[in-house]
Amino acid sequence: MAAGGAGSNKTYSFKVVLLGEGCVGKTSLVLRYCENKFNDKHITTLQASFLTKKLNIAGKRVNLAIWDTAGQERFHALGPIYYRDSNGAVLVYDITDEDSFQKVKNWVKELRKMLGNEICLCIVGNKIDLDKDRHVSVDEAERYAESVGAKHYHTSAKLNKGIEELFLDLCKRMMENAQADERLKGNGSSQSASSWRGVQIVDDDPQATPAGGCCSSG
Amino acid sequence: MSQRTERRGIHVDQSDLLCKKGCGYYGNTAWQGLCSKCWREEYQRVRQKQIQDDWALAEKLQREEEAAYASSHGVQTQSHGPFSKFEEKKTNEKTRKVTTVKKFFSPSSRTPPKKETQDSKTPSPSISRHASFDTDQVSKDFVEFLKNLQKPGREIHKQCRAFLVNMSSKKDISAEELSECVQDFYQNMVDRLMTHFKGSSESVEQVMDQVEKYIMTRLYKSVFCPETTDDEKKDLATQKRIRALHWVTIQMLCVSMDEEIPEVSENVVKAITDIIEMDSKRVPRDKLACITRCSKHIFSAIKITKNEPASADDFLPALIYIVLKANPPRLQSNIQYITRFCNPSRLMTGEDGYYFTNLCCAAAFIEKLDAQSLNLSPEEFERYMSGQASPRFNSSEGDWTSSGAASESTSINPVLVQLNQNLELLSSLSSRQERLVEAAHSLQADLLSWTESVKKEVNDILEKYPLEIQTCSVSAIDANNVDNENLPPPLTPQVFAG
Repeated sequence: MAAGGAGSNKTYSFKVVLLGEGCVGKTSLVLRYCENKFNDKHITTLQASFLTKKLNIAGKRVNLAIWDTAGQERFHALGPIYYRDSNGAVLVYDITDEDSFQKVKNWVKELRKMLGNEICLCIVGNKIDLDKDRHVSVDEAERYAESVGAKHYHTSAKLNKGIEELFLDLCKRMMENAQADERLKGNGSSQSASSWRGVQIVDDDPQATPAGGCCSSG
Repeated sequence: MSQRTERRGIHVDQSDLLCKKGCGYYGNTAWQGLCSKCWREEYQRVRQKQIQDDWALAEKLQREEEAAYASSHGVQTQSHGPFSKFEEKKTNEKTRKVTTVKKFFSPSSRTPPKKETQDSKTPSPSISRHASFDTDQVSKDFVEFLKNLQKPGREIHKQCRAFLVNMSSKKDISAEELSECVQDFYQNMVDRLMTHFKGSSESVEQVMDQVEKYIMTRLYKSVFCPETTDDEKKDLATQKRIRALHWVTIQMLCVSMDEEIPEVSENVVKAITDIIEMDSKRVPRDKLACITRCSKHIFSAIKITKNEPASADDFLPALIYIVLKANPPRLQSNIQYITRFCNPSRLMTGEDGYYFTNLCCAAAFIEKLDAQSLNLSPEEFERYMSGQASPRFNSSEGDWTSSGAASESTSINPVLVQLNQNLELLSSLSSRQERLVEAAHSLQADLLSWTESVKKEVNDILEKYPLEIQTCSVSAIDANNVDNENLPPPLTPQVFAG
């Protein structure tokens, strides 16, 4: 979903969904990333469910929109509505909670089935400040991530560890994906066309519109 | 309400009720005191004038443009051709009603309604009048806006009109195809604007917002809840479903909003108002704005309750609760309409898009809701659904709530909730009053016994110490006068001369 612009002056817009069981620290993670605050009484934002971040990576502007999702089990079935058209997914589990890792595995299966390889997956073990209570082994998690083509990260929202790296890495991967996409579609006019990928438009027939003469230069 | 006006009507002079034009039929205040026939004529006249004004503007633009482009664009003169078609489309659009029943009654508003004069049940022109005035206003605004853009503005206007003409010829195609046409149009427009503004996405957004407003206000009637889809059926199903779920409480959904706090309940009411208001808007973007406002109020409510920013875990249940309480009209139609015809750049990535997605989730959740999703046993769920039991009955005590069956519907109607609260308040007041009366009685008794006891005490003392009157020695005033010197000297008679 890269909004095209003229020449190098282009901006990428990415949608990233946050998935994971309730209480694994999704909200803390994203608040730490966007506001650099943790459990702070001075958090100014009204909500932590939709946050944006502007980045500059290798001279390219990137707009990141982070969509939090409801983690309760009863809302699991609504997942597809949330992750539709997203460029990346951050799957969070709590390293002290074996169950939450199992949930992540379910999500991965579902995402791969529904979206294929178009989506960049990040598996995130949060709360590494509680390493003494660890119930998910590092080895197992990393091996699993590799087996499904995802990257694995260790983070702590409390200590502000690994979060910046996680999102930077994810952005770079999404940019690579987007660039590969552009190359596939050819360059020029289709740059902007890719920004409409979210909707089911058939854009191979621009003449469908009753354009009474296209550009004035033509 | 209607009864009241009828009763009041008795005292009104008969002549006041008649049509102001003096045709002999009864007039109606909603039609500015005219009868249906005269109002219709009047309205037709005003509307025709509006249309002509609008067209004068549009045609002026067209002529200017023709002059500028005549040499380079021979093809474009063709767009003169479908003018009549366009006009036809415009009127069709205005006369088209959501309900098919009305269609049978009035095949076209342009044919003079001779037979309908006595039939007071024919669709009142005032409804469509507002709508068409709106449409004309939007066209005017659009033309004004495009004037600032000079040459490209004309180009845009031409494109939009050509598109509308084209759309009007596509009457019987499915909603999906309609959506595709509109989306294609948006995309082409964006592509062209991108080249024109050299990639300044802000200007493009601005223009696109206006284009969307113009196009969708024009198309609204024909593409909102079209008859080719089962949107209307879904609307009714959803509405019924939400009504059946009136007993769902805030606790069952685990919503972290405490409605006891006045600011929270205020925000809840505002959120409900906003989500209901969505149906009255015509432009997808305006509808989205309603959803966003509703969401912001929910966030405020959560923040006040929890004192921390709301996560999606808090937000979604709260939104579901609000939707259940509000039962927004034509929810499915609105969702479909936005999905089909909204400018996608807004819908896909922006904040508005996020809230819209959540609303879709809420609707989907409500549709599929079962015992498990409310942490109830299937039996309980069944009983509540069938109306045999209400969770409110179990929790509530006191004769006020259990005596009225009205408490059953409290969860859907905020007014009833208020009523219930008032009743509770009143019952507590009356019990306090009783206590007060009791206390007053006992006070009275106390006072009586007190006087008695005082009397008794006094008598006792009098008995105990009988009054002895001592004979005191009579003495002259001056005798034994101790402070003699303090007294003024005795008055002495004085003899005045005269």
